[in-house]
Amino acid sequence: MFKALKVNSGRLSVLLAILVWLALLFVDLVRVFGMVNELESGIREEFTWVLEILFFISVYSFYNYSINKGNQVNFLGLTWRAASTGIFASGFALLVSLFYTSLGDGKLANEPFLKNFFYHVNFALTSIFLISSTLLWKNLILYQKTKRVVKQWQAFEFMLLISMLFIFFNQNTLDYSFLFGMVLLIGFGIVLSVNLKWIPYLTFKEKWKSLLFLAIIIIACSYLFLQLLGYSDRSEYMVNLTDNLFLVALFSFIFTYALFAFLVTLFNLPTSSVFEQKLTEALSFQRLSQSIQPDENEEKVLDILMDSCMSASFSDGAWLELNGKILESGSNIEPRFIDKETKEEIAKLIGQNKASREFPEDEILHEIEPIPIRLEHPKFESALLVPLVLNKTVIGRMILLKEVKDGFNKEMISIITTFVRQASISVENHRLLNQAIRNERYQEELKIAQRVQKALLPDNLDHNEHFEICAFSNTADEVGGDYYDTFQLDENRFVLIIGDVSGKGTSAAFHMSQMKGIFQSLIQLDLSPSEFMVKANAALSKCLERNHFITASIFILDTSKKSVCHARAGHVPTLFFDHKTSQSEYLGIEGLGLGILRNKQYSNHVEEKTFHYSDGDLLVLFTDGIVEAKNDKSQQFGYERIRNLLEVYNALSPEEIQEKIIQSLHGFVGGDGLIDDDYSMMVVKFKE
Amino acid sequence: MLELKHIEESPNHILEVQGEIDASNSVQLDEAMQEVIRTGTKNILVDCSGLEYISSAGLGVFMSYLEDFKEQGISFKIYGLSEKVFEVFKILGLDQLIPIFTDKDAALAS
Repeated sequence: MFKALKVNSGRLSVLLAILVWLALLFVDLVRVFGMVNELESGIREEFTWVLEILFFISVYSFYNYSINKGNQVNFLGLTWRAASTGIFASGFALLVSLFYTSLGDGKLANEPFLKNFFYHVNFALTSIFLISSTLLWKNLILYQKTKRVVKQWQAFEFMLLISMLFIFFNQNTLDYSFLFGMVLLIGFGIVLSVNLKWIPYLTFKEKWKSLLFLAIIIIACSYLFLQLLGYSDRSEYMVNLTDNLFLVALFSFIFTYALFAFLVTLFNLPTSSVFEQKLTEALSFQRLSQSIQPDENEEKVLDILMDSCMSASFSDGAWLELNGKILESGSNIEPRFIDKETKEEIAKLIGQNKASREFPEDEILHEIEPIPIRLEHPKFESALLVPLVLNKTVIGRMILLKEVKDGFNKEMISIITTFVRQASISVENHRLLNQAIRNERYQEELKIAQRVQKALLPDNLDHNEHFEICAFSNTADEVGGDYYDTFQLDENRFVLIIGDVSGKGTSAAFHMSQMKGIFQSLIQLDLSPSEFMVKANAALSKCLERNHFITASIFILDTSKKSVCHARAGHVPTLFFDHKTSQSEYLGIEGLGLGILRNKQYSNHVEEKTFHYSDGDLLVLFTDGIVEAKNDKSQQFGYERIRNLLEVYNALSPEEIQEKIIQSLHGFVGGDGLIDDDYSMMVVKFKE
Repeated sequence: MLELKHIEESPNHILEVQGEIDASNSVQLDEAMQEVIRTGTKNILVDCSGLEYISSAGLGVFMSYLEDFKEQGISFKIYGLSEKVFEVFKILGLDQLIPIFTDKDAALAS
């Protein structure tokens, strides 16, 4: 909707401008007709003035619309637009005057209708040129706008509007008020003309072009102004359209701005290469800092570095030397503008140079500057040795060459140093990023391991209505070495096991999964607890690392006989609570850890015991992580605390007892304290 | 914190252990043990009177040499264990495999 309105306003103003201009022409021609036939046409001058003002405004609004349409400011495009309009307007005026010159003093030459027609066309074209150029200048002035400049421009536009209406006030005569207004507007135009900040952004070539365009504008402007002066004091034009304060002000403004821009561009020419160089440096810097993506290699940075350094120092040749295997990939970076033979010659010359011997090797502790040296070589007379430093290690050097003596000045060396630093930051970031990605991958792998290991611990613990059971396990790292499991042998017999692999982390986790395999296969054979331990020891002896062992406690519950048969292999003792006496005690039974004695002797080191339980009795199995958990005073949680807790909370359900013990454990270790070992527990409560 | 000292009192080699042994520094203990074994001595004593804590990883180090010692006829003795640390050895059953003494004199006298 809004857009449609905008398009219409552009077309509307063109249409209005044409209509107004035709009306203007018609009115004047009617006047001429009246004069020729000595009739009073009766049309007041004011009517023409109103049409003239309408024409200015519609042209102004059209250009305001059409120039703002392209948002991107293209300086050269803008100046060319002004220049082309100028060429067209002055070209037409020139043709008309040539036409009249060629006619000489003929009848046609004095034809008032034709003369008036051409006068109107010239007026229209001149107005279009002036108004369009003014608006183009507006864009240039308001490039890098500040509040002050915008205010000045608004004031100028307001004054121009007043000047349009001025004609009603002074009745088109040249008096002091006209002169005063003119001086005021010219002065303001000059003030605005100092806003030339766009010029430095032109390249050298663009500056030459803009000089040409500005010259065209100046010439067209002057020619049209002279033409306009010629129209004054000529009686054949009924109403003078061109002795207008508005047009005069625009003439002076366009001329001044064009002149200023021309001069400034001209004087900017010699230094323009410096500005361009600085821009290139800024761009190189940006390229260096953005050069590597995670999956690209580091050579690209060195490549860009070399190009950037060459362009910053105007070098005529360069090559790169890298110290062996420090960089991830070998050096495939081509030397620049130098053949192999010359390169070797110069490398030899550099080797002979005294200064080059100070070139650092490998580790450095402080910043090092590039070293400029002189060369006795027919082609290249100076060289710059640039150390490439990464993580305080010299990874190689870049050699820049110039055909002139002492070709590297302080500014060049300093910008090159900055480039090298930026490049090394880029490479370091790239490495860090890659490392971070790798670490993330490991984390993912560990998470998978954690998931897999969680699945090794049973979700549902086998039991029947004669006992309740719950279990819990927590690992210090992502994965751990604690293990518990259950197995139902028949309707009344259940096996419980709890185990702990020595050490923690990944290696413990692997052994834990072996333990699970051994338990699940051996238990199917319906072995007694001690037989199980002997066979498990034999199996583990083959696969455990030399300095690893596993401790375990195994229990076979028989709910019909209300008996528990158990064996212990080096595992922390199990706590038994006797409901009748309200006493708890650790089950005393000897047994060597699995994998410690890797021969048949092991069977001499494992015991088996059976006891009977009654309703309300409890078994608490756990791993050493709970007993050995330390608080900040280096005290261990210990066996006694667990025993006391059980004597207090024995009436609760197994889940609640387990929760109380774990809560108490966390309370003991302290809020922020971490338990630096895997810990697990299993609670069994016998009932009717 | 773990401090290890290798003392030679011919014909005995004594490894003095001080501090705590856990998964993070059990490698140090292993290296010290290997150093003692490399001397070719047939009498190794470990002085644990300064040992405050030993984790399963530390026990694993002592355990891993038992078979070698038996094969090579090396006498390996531990003495000076605190009650708490001795408990750890006992629960695992290592006290059945390693001769453990209250102090140095008792260890030498045996």
